[in-house]
Amino acid sequence: MAVELGTGLVALASGAAIGLSAIAAAIAEKEIGVAAVGAMAEKEELFGKGLVLTVIPETIVIFGLVVAILILNLAKGG
Amino acid sequence: MLRPHGMSSVMIAGPKSVQEDIIKELHRLKVLHIVEHSKDKLADIGTPLESASGLSEILVKVRALISALGIKRENGQFEIKIGIQGIRESAGRISDELGRHLEELRVIELQLSRNEPVVKELAILEDVNIPLEHFASYKSLAYFGGRIKNKESINEIGAQLSLLTKNFMLLASSVKKSNFILLFVDLKIKGNAELILKNHNFSPVNFSSVIGLKGTAAQNLKKTKDEIKRLQASKEEAKRRIEALARQNKDFLVAAESFLAGQLEKAEAPLKFAATQSSFLIKGWIPAEDLHKSIDRLNKAGKGSIYIQFAPAGKKDNVPVKLKNPGLAKPFEFFMDLYSMPSYREIDPTFFVFLTFPIFFGIMLGDIGYGLVSLAVFWLLKRKMPKAGNFFNILMLASFVSIIFGFVFGEFFGFEKIGEIHLWHIISRAEPESVFTLLFAVLIVGAVHVNAGLIAGFINVYKDHGFMAAIYEKASWIVLELGVAMLALSYLGMMPISPLVGAVFLGAAILMIFKGEGVKGIMELPAIFTNILSYARLMAIGLSSVILAVIINESAAGFFRQGGFFILIGILILIIGHIINILLGLLGSFLHSLRLHYVEFFSKFFHGGAKKYQPFGVRED
Repeated sequence: MAVELGTGLVALASGAAIGLSAIAAAIAEKEIGVAAVGAMAEKEELFGKGLVLTVIPETIVIFGLVVAILILNLAKGG
Repeated sequence: MLRPHGMSSVMIAGPKSVQEDIIKELHRLKVLHIVEHSKDKLADIGTPLESASGLSEILVKVRALISALGIKRENGQFEIKIGIQGIRESAGRISDELGRHLEELRVIELQLSRNEPVVKELAILEDVNIPLEHFASYKSLAYFGGRIKNKESINEIGAQLSLLTKNFMLLASSVKKSNFILLFVDLKIKGNAELILKNHNFSPVNFSSVIGLKGTAAQNLKKTKDEIKRLQASKEEAKRRIEALARQNKDFLVAAESFLAGQLEKAEAPLKFAATQSSFLIKGWIPAEDLHKSIDRLNKAGKGSIYIQFAPAGKKDNVPVKLKNPGLAKPFEFFMDLYSMPSYREIDPTFFVFLTFPIFFGIMLGDIGYGLVSLAVFWLLKRKMPKAGNFFNILMLASFVSIIFGFVFGEFFGFEKIGEIHLWHIISRAEPESVFTLLFAVLIVGAVHVNAGLIAGFINVYKDHGFMAAIYEKASWIVLELGVAMLALSYLGMMPISPLVGAVFLGAAILMIFKGEGVKGIMELPAIFTNILSYARLMAIGLSSVILAVIINESAAGFFRQGGFFILIGILILIIGHIINILLGLLGSFLHSLRLHYVEFFSKFFHGGAKKYQPFGVRED
């Protein structure tokens, strides 16, 4: 099916919004996760705190998602 | 609920003559959380009772037997009636018997390992019809045995040797695709023969294991194989005897272990006490409701010669915490164990977690089919693993709420209609138009949750630092939210007030936060909004799970339409796809729901860090 260039660009933009933020979150979580697992090997009770610290950057992806939805919606409105 | 059990600090002092009786009574009472004494100017720590070293010796023996016999620790019905001396004797008897069986096993295995190379070498020689006596050392003969690559080489070797001497014998046979040769030559030309063989890629085989055997290889091979069979049979027999020994003594050993561990705990208890030459002092905590009953019983056990002092927990005491929650919320204390025990004076969030965790989980999983499957799976797992019962109770409740939200979203394994009947729903997650509605709904949930946290924080700060501190540190954030909301609504024209009102609220809030939390608070200003926005995951995780389910269903439907054999593939896609999606959905829903509590909610009021109440006499698993 034929898709207009503008529609394609909107799709790309919203894809980039969530994809790039997911990569950023992944990089941040990698570092924290390594440290958290290391700490847990020393002291098992740190699981709760380790989990919390590891998932903190996840919020970035949520922002990415919200932005992606907003882009899609703006395109629909405009 | 919301508050842990009240605790009283207790100090018990008395002469050493009654120490053992007091320890026994405390062990029976199972209420005192002992605070360990560390050596100081006034008093050293106590010395263990005399029986301690003997007890730990038997305990080590019993534990060694349990692990050597491969016994799993389960709660048996066995009761120890024979006393410590009896356990020592029985454990010694079992240990001797096990030792005999293990020695037998060791000898059998040694013989087996000796026979292994013999069989290998005999198998090579099987087709060479030479008595094995010939494989001895000779005065005038040398022999070579080994493999050669090409069959043609054998004739060449013969030809080359015959040029040197007549006194040689060359035998050849093929064993498992390789050519085996055996060469006897005059000792004088051993060097030449070696050279010839080397030129034909000869690789020697070692025959050291068959030296000393008599008769042909084939005869010996049969004999050795029979011998191995016999050894293996007796090895099995020995193993069976060890298993029988384990079966017979399992209940006794498990019960003895737990009995001895309890005795040892008592015998070593004085290590936690303060002691002088002739007296002891125990410090600890007892739940307020057990206090008077316990004191009466201790006084009786101490025959009136002990002194007990008690007082309610003070403001600065480091009190061990015993959480208090109603039955249904009790399993959720697991999450506090996982994170950190709430301190004695703050609000215990377990009940809040009980209220919201299943709801968040349900919003994310939200499918009738998935909820039913996970409910069934967790029910089965709970029966399999009763020890993790609390954990599965949480998940079963969460699965049940998922079913309810499945009805809200009108989803059954991702399908919105079954046959021709459309599932009734309040809001459909699969329709693109509803994404925004759902987003707003979960953000409202988030705002309510975060503000509930702030209110809990307000109460905590109010109790500890007074009303004004609570206003500056916690209520200020609510004012901030109000300010930003008013500002936004008035700009958007949805609220007929001047933006100035919102700005005033905002300014006041910033000043209050600065007073309450300093520069750190100012830097954290946007955090409250990112926290609320973070609840968008309630929609996002659910959405991704629905879309995956729809993709699985549609690709399976494609195969169904083709008919015949393809229907099987379609069914396979449905089963595997939905299993994977359920696993992903469970993991995601669990972790994200937990995270919303630990990060967004707890950060508003929770400090934690208390010790868990562990009464003396209750065994930790």
